[in-house]
Amino acid sequence: MRVKLWRETEAILFTLPALVPLLVFWLGPLGYIVYLSFTDWDFMSPDKLFVGLENYSYLLTNSEFYQSLKVTLLFGLGSVIPTIVGGLGLAMLMNSRIKSSGLFRTLLFSPWVTPTVAVSIAWSWIFEPEVGLANLMLGWVGVSPIGWLRDADWALVAVLIVTLWKSIGWSMVFYLVALRNLPSDLLEAASIDSAGSWDKFRSITLPLISPTTFFLSIILTIQSLQAYDQINVMTQGGPAGSTRTLLYMYYQSAFESFNVGEASAIAVVIILICVLLSGISFLLSRRLVHY
Amino acid sequence: MDMTAISKQTSTGSSRENTQKEKVPRTGKLLGTAIRYLLLALISLAMAFPFYWMVISGFKTNDEIWQFPPTFWPETFRWSNYVDAWQSAPFARYMLNSTGVAAAICLFQIINSSMMAYALTHMRFRMKGILTGLILVGYMIPSTAVYLPSYLVLSELRLLDSYTGLIVSNCVSVFSIFLIRQAFMQVSHELVEAGQLDGASHFRILWTIIAPLVRSTFAVMVLITFIDQYNNYFWPMLITKDPNLQLVSAGLRSFFVEGGAYGLAWPQIMAASAFTIAPLLILFLFTQKTIMQSVNMTAGVNKN
Repeated sequence: MRVKLWRETEAILFTLPALVPLLVFWLGPLGYIVYLSFTDWDFMSPDKLFVGLENYSYLLTNSEFYQSLKVTLLFGLGSVIPTIVGGLGLAMLMNSRIKSSGLFRTLLFSPWVTPTVAVSIAWSWIFEPEVGLANLMLGWVGVSPIGWLRDADWALVAVLIVTLWKSIGWSMVFYLVALRNLPSDLLEAASIDSAGSWDKFRSITLPLISPTTFFLSIILTIQSLQAYDQINVMTQGGPAGSTRTLLYMYYQSAFESFNVGEASAIAVVIILICVLLSGISFLLSRRLVHY
Repeated sequence: MDMTAISKQTSTGSSRENTQKEKVPRTGKLLGTAIRYLLLALISLAMAFPFYWMVISGFKTNDEIWQFPPTFWPETFRWSNYVDAWQSAPFARYMLNSTGVAAAICLFQIINSSMMAYALTHMRFRMKGILTGLILVGYMIPSTAVYLPSYLVLSELRLLDSYTGLIVSNCVSVFSIFLIRQAFMQVSHELVEAGQLDGASHFRILWTIIAPLVRSTFAVMVLITFIDQYNNYFWPMLITKDPNLQLVSAGLRSFFVEGGAYGLAWPQIMAASAFTIAPLLILFLFTQKTIMQSVNMTAGVNKN
């Protein structure tokens, strides 16, 4: 009996160094933010005023919130899909015994390693409307200059280009691993059955790499919900809110307008979106992913 | 290569007709390979170009950088821009701050992730299922969403504006626990039992028997965590207001915005960005294999 009790205690002791910070900085705050979303507070006043669902009803009638929701959705789709498709494309290009693929891989992967703030600064110069490289290149193909980061129609595109540039090499490496693990006999058998390369790709490769696609789409979606650095450096949510994602709106209402209640409500919405997406992807994975 | 392959086939007696047939797809294949190379080279160049642009713009004079069309090679190399930038803000200090904080976080994460992972894989206790579930959920919820309450917690603990706060709040990562748990699951439980028979404590078994076996996973975890933490911007910027405590991303960003530098001292800004990323690119060049390996492991983490 004492031995058993000691065994339980010892195991709990082993988990504490990770469990305590997890509770203090993650699980605790998760509960705390739900509570804060029902209050009205400005960081300063001694009391937090309980207001029930007021923050939520305010959000749901606020056009800025819907605008942010739309930007978040566009940012998510605009970053996740091209990163996955592009990464797979690059991996397919590299897959068949390309010499010096190590060099290509290094070049394509290096943006992922570098600090987003530093590279976003360099990119904002590339997008400079008067003397920037982006407009010079558009000029070469006869397109008139674009305002990029200063133009509400283009700012999100510019931010997306940087995001894609950062992550495409990363997703390529995942696909390279997946493609290398494909059973070669299956592909050869298909070749003997005179299947075209598109058929092979669609009916063998694509299903077999679906776990990777599934994994990447979850991780990239969560990453897109967390995107902050490039937006902060390049546009700060502007112009006219065209790059203000939910996370950015959350940051602004918390640390710029000191509106804790509203900010918390936005954070709860972000968390709910994550829970919802995880649920959907879990259900989808049972149907679509072939392990 | 291709020619020898073809001649080999002829010599082993396959009919001439067959060889003829083979030749057409071979030329097609060669062309395909050439196109692949060309495409890859172009894309790689395009991807590397922003780095080149950053470095090269750092050498230009202010007049030249404001010229249109821009020049792809500076008229004269102004090394002094780099010196100016280095001296106009305490970048050496920022980089040292980031390195120190990232290293401390790595150390704590190794210890507590290993202990947690060991308990989850090689110990028996009641809370095991609940803990595993908790960590699984933690993987799905973005930590940025709880920055506001975490900030309040740190302020309650009087740890704002200190490295202790920064390190403590980052000292555990669900991802690291996952990664190490995955590695520990591969270690046979018999090893642990053998250790116990020899009278070794769990603590001893973990650090002297199991840890050395999963060195490569530790290496991957440390590299990924180090890179993440060195580059970290949002959270450190929120909790460290003292300019002397700033980490490199926040320091660079202040340099970008403050002192009228916004749009005025672009060559210096580009130079500063360039030396900010340099340590990471060098680290990456030396540890590429390990970093790429992380992909293999990360993908494995998710399957369980």
